[in-house]
Amino acid sequence: MNNNTDNNIAVKVEGLTKTFRDFWRRPRVRAVDGVDMQIRRGEIFGLLGPNGSGKSTTIKILLGLLHPTSGSVTVLGAPPSAVNTKSNIGYLPEESYLYPYLTPRETLDFFGRLFDMKGDVRKERTRQLLDMVDLAHEADRSVGEFSKGMARRVGLAQALINNPRLVILDEPTSGLDPIGCRQVKDLILALAKQGKTVILSSHLLADVEDVCDYIAILYKGKIRACGKVSGLLEERDAMRLTLPVLEPAKTRQVLAAVREIINAEPSIDRPSKNLEQFFIEVVQQAHRETERTGDVSGTRMVAEYLKNE
Amino acid sequence: MTQKIKQYSSITCLTALETVRQPIFLLLAVTCVLFTALTPQLLMFQFGEEGKLARDSGLAYHFVFGLFIAGYAACSSLAREIKSGTASAVLSKPVGRGTFLMAKFTGIAAAIAAFSVCAMITTLLSERVVMKFYESGELQGYLSDKLIGSLLIAAPFIALLAAAGVNYWKKRPFGSAAFGFLFVTLAFVFVTAGFFDIRGQFKPFDCRVMWRIVPASLLVTLALVMLSAVAVALSTRLSTVPTMVICTAVFAAGLMSDHLFGRYAGISAVASFFYWILPNWQNFWVADALDGGGSVSVSYIIHAALYMLTWSAGILCLGVLSFRHAEIK
Repeated sequence: MNNNTDNNIAVKVEGLTKTFRDFWRRPRVRAVDGVDMQIRRGEIFGLLGPNGSGKSTTIKILLGLLHPTSGSVTVLGAPPSAVNTKSNIGYLPEESYLYPYLTPRETLDFFGRLFDMKGDVRKERTRQLLDMVDLAHEADRSVGEFSKGMARRVGLAQALINNPRLVILDEPTSGLDPIGCRQVKDLILALAKQGKTVILSSHLLADVEDVCDYIAILYKGKIRACGKVSGLLEERDAMRLTLPVLEPAKTRQVLAAVREIINAEPSIDRPSKNLEQFFIEVVQQAHRETERTGDVSGTRMVAEYLKNE
Repeated sequence: MTQKIKQYSSITCLTALETVRQPIFLLLAVTCVLFTALTPQLLMFQFGEEGKLARDSGLAYHFVFGLFIAGYAACSSLAREIKSGTASAVLSKPVGRGTFLMAKFTGIAAAIAAFSVCAMITTLLSERVVMKFYESGELQGYLSDKLIGSLLIAAPFIALLAAAGVNYWKKRPFGSAAFGFLFVTLAFVFVTAGFFDIRGQFKPFDCRVMWRIVPASLLVTLALVMLSAVAVALSTRLSTVPTMVICTAVFAAGLMSDHLFGRYAGISAVASFFYWILPNWQNFWVADALDGGGSVSVSYIIHAALYMLTWSAGILCLGVLSFRHAEIK
């Protein structure tokens, strides 16, 4: 995360502070307080923290939607107020952010137009994205009629319409079912594999742990912990040895040998799948056994144009 | 530059489409058309002023319903977009804030123009339909155009039914489809009126309506666009309710500005300032000028349009300045 030349840095934040003021311009709340961070290109960076910790405020400052009270911010080598830089940014906001009377197709077409895309490119990307988020069969229904999860999928698609170099996702899995969450996480990993930088804000720790290379944990506007996920989570005073299932006699032999070496009682358990993985296996099995009923539980591939870097 | 124009047109089209698809827009447009269409049928004891009552009512409905549409559309288009987050989704793309605001205003103005065309056609036909005294070689007596009157009342219902069908079978959004069909059905009634005389007899196309209503309707439209500029500028900082309250106050003060400030303008600097700065809506209400064969001159319309453009440009410049520094939460 550090010690890199500036052209390898996608986002650089130094001493960022944001104070919201009341009607009389008196300081009301300090949402971000002296944040410093650097995010390298091609990295998946997680912003973690409880509600009100300053994650969304930080993201909105990166996008130029909010103005910092003090500190400096550089995004893809330019200040957040530079309009042209936003051609390379894809943003999924936290809350409802779609025009309720537009259909998903119209929504993607509209956002595509903002990037000066040619009609055929827009049409093809819209088709691929709708297929990717599994909404091709709902392309002509008003977004206002969608469930939160379906609206989230449209939001994700609009964030990727411009094939961005920097993708900022604010609570991307909020409202999605476990399969949708897995899809989003696979997509994030695929995007990073294409060299795109991803900033992921979430309070769902499992999601962040699954995909992020680096994380920063915010609390009351300050960074409380920052670093590589594996490094932060590693227990340095213990090891785990994984073996195939052994007969009881051989297990006792192994335990006795280990006990003799470490001069303490080792623990033994069986590795288990996580619930998400188990859930997906059950649903995929059920999906294979029954006919498709028009739900949005399919697992789709990443849109073709997003793979072509 | 090309990209900016494309962005501008995209946001303008989207704003117009979103405005038209809002149920409140359709409700107000249909109510305005129905009230105007029903006026000739409900008039009693007119004392020979049937035509005046029909066109004054039509223009008044156009103004009043248009005011609601202008105010609500402007508020929902900006204040609610900022609140709901759609503005942040658009402004996170390479779109300048000035472009966004001005395109929003243009989109609202386009929706108001579409509503105004419907209101104007209805007023023209309503004035034609009303019972009038006719004196010619073959006819002397009172007559009303029953065929066109019936078609005019039926038009909104046909539009709603057609939109329901399109919504059911083609899954197209009801609001915009209904407004589109309303536009088409009114245009159809207008063309039909050209092929029939007031007694319902078929004749070669000759649309006999009081064309002098068109400039009066155009002036009302200019006033509506001007009010929407006020609402858009206020929406950059205020939410829907304060914006609507201030717009109502500006409308009321502007309506009475001749009485409140105009008469003291020569003797008081304060009155003069307010008289100068408040939009004077009386400039856009010329229904009385149509009485007794009067008409509105082209030069008056040009002056009124320049007044609207200058005043709107001023208030929108303030809006852009305000929006450039606004925080999109």
